[in-house]
Amino acid sequence: MTTTLLNRIVLIAALAIAYVGIPILFGGNAYVLGLIVAALTIAGVAVAWALLGNLGGMVSFGHAAFFGVGSYTSAVLAMKLGVPVFAAMLLGGVGAAVSSVAMLPALRLRGPYFALAILAYAHIFQILATEMTPVTGGAGGLLSIPRFPTVLGFDFGEKLGGYLIVLTIVVLAAFAYDAIRRSTWGLALKAMHDTEVATRVVGVPSTHLKAAMLVLSAFITGVVGAFNAHFISFLDPDYAFSSGWTVLPIAAAIFGGYRTVWGPVVGALAIYLVDQLLFKPILPHGHQMILGVLLCAMILFSPGGLMPALRRRTVKESRHAHA
Amino acid sequence: MTRTIANLVTVSALALSVALGAGAAQAKEFLLGSELPLTGSLARVGQGMHEGIAVAIDMANKSYAGKHSFKVQTIDDETSPAKGVAAVEKLAGDGVVAITGGYGSNIIGPASEAAQKAGLVYITSGGVSPELTQRGYPTFFRINNTDGYALAMIGLIQEMGAKKVSIVYLNKDATSSLAKQVNTALTAKGVTVGMHEFDGSTSDFKPLMNKVKLQDRPDVIAMVGYENDYVGILRASKVLKPQVKAMVGVWSLATAQMAKEFPDLMENVYGTSMLPYPVEFTQPEAVEFAATYKKLFNKDPDYLGQFGYVQTRLLIDAVVRADEAGTLGKGGLPDELRKTDANTLIGRVTFDKNGDNLNFTHRMGQHQGGKVVLVWPQDAANGKMNFPAVPW
Repeated sequence: MTTTLLNRIVLIAALAIAYVGIPILFGGNAYVLGLIVAALTIAGVAVAWALLGNLGGMVSFGHAAFFGVGSYTSAVLAMKLGVPVFAAMLLGGVGAAVSSVAMLPALRLRGPYFALAILAYAHIFQILATEMTPVTGGAGGLLSIPRFPTVLGFDFGEKLGGYLIVLTIVVLAAFAYDAIRRSTWGLALKAMHDTEVATRVVGVPSTHLKAAMLVLSAFITGVVGAFNAHFISFLDPDYAFSSGWTVLPIAAAIFGGYRTVWGPVVGALAIYLVDQLLFKPILPHGHQMILGVLLCAMILFSPGGLMPALRRRTVKESRHAHA
Repeated sequence: MTRTIANLVTVSALALSVALGAGAAQAKEFLLGSELPLTGSLARVGQGMHEGIAVAIDMANKSYAGKHSFKVQTIDDETSPAKGVAAVEKLAGDGVVAITGGYGSNIIGPASEAAQKAGLVYITSGGVSPELTQRGYPTFFRINNTDGYALAMIGLIQEMGAKKVSIVYLNKDATSSLAKQVNTALTAKGVTVGMHEFDGSTSDFKPLMNKVKLQDRPDVIAMVGYENDYVGILRASKVLKPQVKAMVGVWSLATAQMAKEFPDLMENVYGTSMLPYPVEFTQPEAVEFAATYKKLFNKDPDYLGQFGYVQTRLLIDAVVRADEAGTLGKGGLPDELRKTDANTLIGRVTFDKNGDNLNFTHRMGQHQGGKVVLVWPQDAANGKMNFPAVPW
């Protein structure tokens, strides 16, 4: 059996479990389903962050900006202009993508300079959300944001509905990421990583490609932020632009394997669910510490993350079986 | 004859055993839920309320001994709205009868919405945003609100006879709405008010206080923020020494902790406080509360513990009433809680149709020589205010 075929089988099985198994197992358990939704929300941002890092070659410390802009755009459109929630959610992504255009000048910067510039942008957007009181509700934020509607008798405003929405967002984001990676764009972006000057010489529009990745990453993060706003039904600037929306996805992506497509998703599910379901009941006031130690151990023993480690193990076992 | 007496004794013994048996069957253990920030940026205030809740449980177990017993299951929301919602859902799944706790309007909002969905009563003293009660959730209750804090600050400033006031306030929901309320009330009474907003990341207040000093020249500086903000404002004021007659703040300021940690900054500063420090209680319930607090935590109670205690005790009493009326399992707890009319450690508590306690009025205390003396209103005062007086 080839590795590609094996990967496809694993992916189909994982999707079947996600779309059928989880609703059957935890559909009646709002608590566990709520935790899975929160983990998938982080996973969505982690995929967008990894996409920008892997394909665009940019390390971002400011994805909270896209998350916040997406959530505010969607919430305001739904609350004040009566835009249907699903349309508002997509427009939230568009809003975040548009906001990323303001960050294009930062593309001239590299490495830590880009990371810091984008962090500063995030802070600017937070201040704007605080000061634009008539639109955003200012520091008080927005309460009772419209929830997802009932469609064909299925209530998407409930936990299970929210789960299916965020799962679909994450799956589509990962597929888009994978499709770009395999395309000629992906090849050009990969070549850019090795030497940007050389790729420019052969006619690759590197700045355009990097800008496209930034906009796409912002769009995905904005949609996830918009989903979260309608799911939690509440927003304020501190929450929407919290650094947690940057730090946790980065930790999740690194834990899971940020150079793989599904690594950030696996990482987010692993760190959030293990922390909340396993470590928190054991150590209610210091469980984050265990998570930190686990993350350090992962970086030390498998710098590529969880997914590459699992893959290596599967390949080893497969070789043993053949032997 | 002997046989008749023997029969009587047997029948009496049977009747007694049936009566005792019936009594024992009625005794129930009630599990309350508590969702609080025990870690994260609101950990200190969350811990304070948590202690008050523990005292309420301990005292209720004593007063209902032999009849009922109470337990509380606490989940740390890590100062995160999403985790607050998850905590409420977990508590609902574990079968709690109601939820007491919550700190920060931004966490209480979604958490109480989750409680509403689960049909659980959610009672708090940690969120004063007007929007929380404007939602009209039948299961949401709170014992304090912005109005009570504003009334105390306005009352004290009026008693001082200030003509010019500068309000320095943090740009958060609760602080902004309180500052604006004080501004409106004082302006209506002919006081000249200067409004000065600052951001939560402000650490150097000297430019702001210099502006207040040179531009406003107020009689009183009113501070509306949290502990770190007060410390920053007072440090800057101590350097710049504006010619004011009083420095007045609200919550988290007139506390024993501030008196101990910042004695050089706190002298003569005012803040809202239900209790003097050292605590002086005269009511039997208050004396028992202080003693239980001391027994459980080896320290004097503070206002956070007091609020946590009151909200939980009111909830427990309503749970017992609803159980006796046979409505507890039928969603009767919100109605029973709405019938509350009690004189508590924070004054009279009743709830309107939105679950707000419209009787709530705070008291003002002043730091005097390492103590907190209640100075407003007159009927609650245990000392005179030093006026005019500032920390420098």
